[in-house]
Amino acid sequence: MQQNEQLENQPDEQLEKQQKERRDFLGCLGGAIACGAATVVASAASSAAVAATAGGAVPPIPNFDWSKHQWAFGVDAERCIGCLRCVEACKRENNVAPDAHHFRTWVERYVTLEGEEKARIDSQADPANIAASGTDGQYRFANRYKDAKVEKAFFVPKLCNHCTHPACVQVCPTGATYKTEDGAVLIDHTYCIGCQYCVQACPYGARFFNEEKGVTDKCTWCYHRITKGLQPACVEVCPVSARIFGDRNDKQSLISQFIQNHRVQVLRPETGNAPNVFYVGIDKDVS
Amino acid sequence: MPRHIVRLVLIMVGFAVLAYGAKQFFTVDSFYQYGHYRGSSVADIASDKPKYKGTAYCASCHAPQLAEWSNGIHNRPDIGKVVRCEVCHSAGGERDVRGTFEHVSTGPDHPKNLKMVVPKDTRQLCTLCHERMTGRPLQQRQIVVAEHAGTQQCSVCHNPHSPRLNLVSAASTAQAGDAAAGKAKAAACAGCHGAEGVSVNAPGPTLAGQHAAYLHDALKAYIEGTRSDPMMNAGAQGLSDDDAANIAAYYAGVTCVSSLDAAKQATLQDKTTAPKCAACHGADGNSTNPSWPKLIGLSKAYLVNSLKAYKGGARKNGMMAGVVKDMSDADMDNVAAYYANATCK
Repeated sequence: MQQNEQLENQPDEQLEKQQKERRDFLGCLGGAIACGAATVVASAASSAAVAATAGGAVPPIPNFDWSKHQWAFGVDAERCIGCLRCVEACKRENNVAPDAHHFRTWVERYVTLEGEEKARIDSQADPANIAASGTDGQYRFANRYKDAKVEKAFFVPKLCNHCTHPACVQVCPTGATYKTEDGAVLIDHTYCIGCQYCVQACPYGARFFNEEKGVTDKCTWCYHRITKGLQPACVEVCPVSARIFGDRNDKQSLISQFIQNHRVQVLRPETGNAPNVFYVGIDKDVS
Repeated sequence: MPRHIVRLVLIMVGFAVLAYGAKQFFTVDSFYQYGHYRGSSVADIASDKPKYKGTAYCASCHAPQLAEWSNGIHNRPDIGKVVRCEVCHSAGGERDVRGTFEHVSTGPDHPKNLKMVVPKDTRQLCTLCHERMTGRPLQQRQIVVAEHAGTQQCSVCHNPHSPRLNLVSAASTAQAGDAAAGKAKAAACAGCHGAEGVSVNAPGPTLAGQHAAYLHDALKAYIEGTRSDPMMNAGAQGLSDDDAANIAAYYAGVTCVSSLDAAKQATLQDKTTAPKCAACHGADGNSTNPSWPKLIGLSKAYLVNSLKAYKGGARKNGMMAGVVKDMSDADMDNVAAYYANATCK
């Protein structure tokens, strides 16, 4: 009987010992986690402090303070004549490959034929339009609907929307794409690893992959021009003022006046990206 | 604590320290400067050199062209239509990347050894904007190319810097002459130009029914000597500007209807050259624009001489110089033969 008690007591002692070891271990682990958390908090606090001290600083761009500007872009599709001078100027200004597959900005043509419900859409990259220009590096719209019964037709210039809540910036794993204080979404080509998550995240198809450099590319609103007081190249060459660019902080600027005097809309507002390219003269087919 | 647990914890801590150190080492200083990106990249991107320089840049050397453009229809900021230099001539600043020229702050930086882009094929260039196309807004000027110009280049009639044609000449805006006074003065003209200005086998061209504005301009040119002809320079001597206006008004008032009707035109029309002329002078020689002459009642010899004078430079007119530039003697003969059939009926 005593033997039996002994036999029953022995596992109890063992259990107690094991539980003590577990408590010690958990205590130690807790301490380690607390320690680690403290380190993370400390480093976060220090980087926050760095950010706070840099808050007043601006990038060293001559005669330019990004905190004083809030850029925006307007497209008046009722004025666009589809001459594609903007597309060629953009490529030249920004060294975009002169072929039919890489565009920072482009122009779409929406044509609804009589009896059809959906618009037919083509852009300068369409093979028929490339054939009309005769070369990959120069663009013109082929006059392909001249004998068709057309109900309505119009041209729509497109470019990066430089969204207030850009999905592309959110998905970038390396911090290679970002939004500047003055509203432009830029790409740091030295940090881009070419994963193309951003190309897929953009609801507007504004980004493309530069196979030659292995990086993503897109419209910068000609950041190198606007920071020097110039207009983006596409705006500079538009012969009919279908493209408008300016500073929303300046209430007299062309873009502020454009937004004030027209009923503007943005593309795909339901995606929550809050675009900063404002359109006039487009309809439900355009997205 | 068992030793293997201690080891594990130590390894984890060591790894964490190593990882943190590596991150600090490999992250550039400016990375968190403005946010989760390399702060210095903003200034990097902004430091690119613009290639499109704007009209002020071109004006420093090409002032005459800029003046032409400034007053023309291609510079109308009031209606939002401004076709700047670089729309057609390409980027001014691109040349400094192709050439050997280096940028200097004291002067314009496009190299003298590289020529500016001057589009040769204006039919390709101008139609980028002006070809009639579905989807173009109505306020844009548009043409059906074949109907408007046949196979001609746009630059034959239009100056691309200021393309709107000057449809009303200076003379035609001046006061209209007195036809009765002109008739008295015109007595001396009848010897060469025929009674009532209808010249049949006479040395001078028919004047009857001609646009007053054109006649006035022509007489003024003879008076001032900018157009030379021994007979006319002598004949016009002593005429005042009022006399010229009166004579022009008199001859313009004499009725002269072209004898070329549609059926006759069809049998005569020269397929290659006459369409060029018809755009301005009319298929029956009856131009509708007061500054372009009617070609009615002119002899073949007179027409050929005129064309040769334009080609040789003896008669100066920007538009005609462009038209005759590519015409052979045979072409001129054909055109003259066609219009010589248009007589006063």
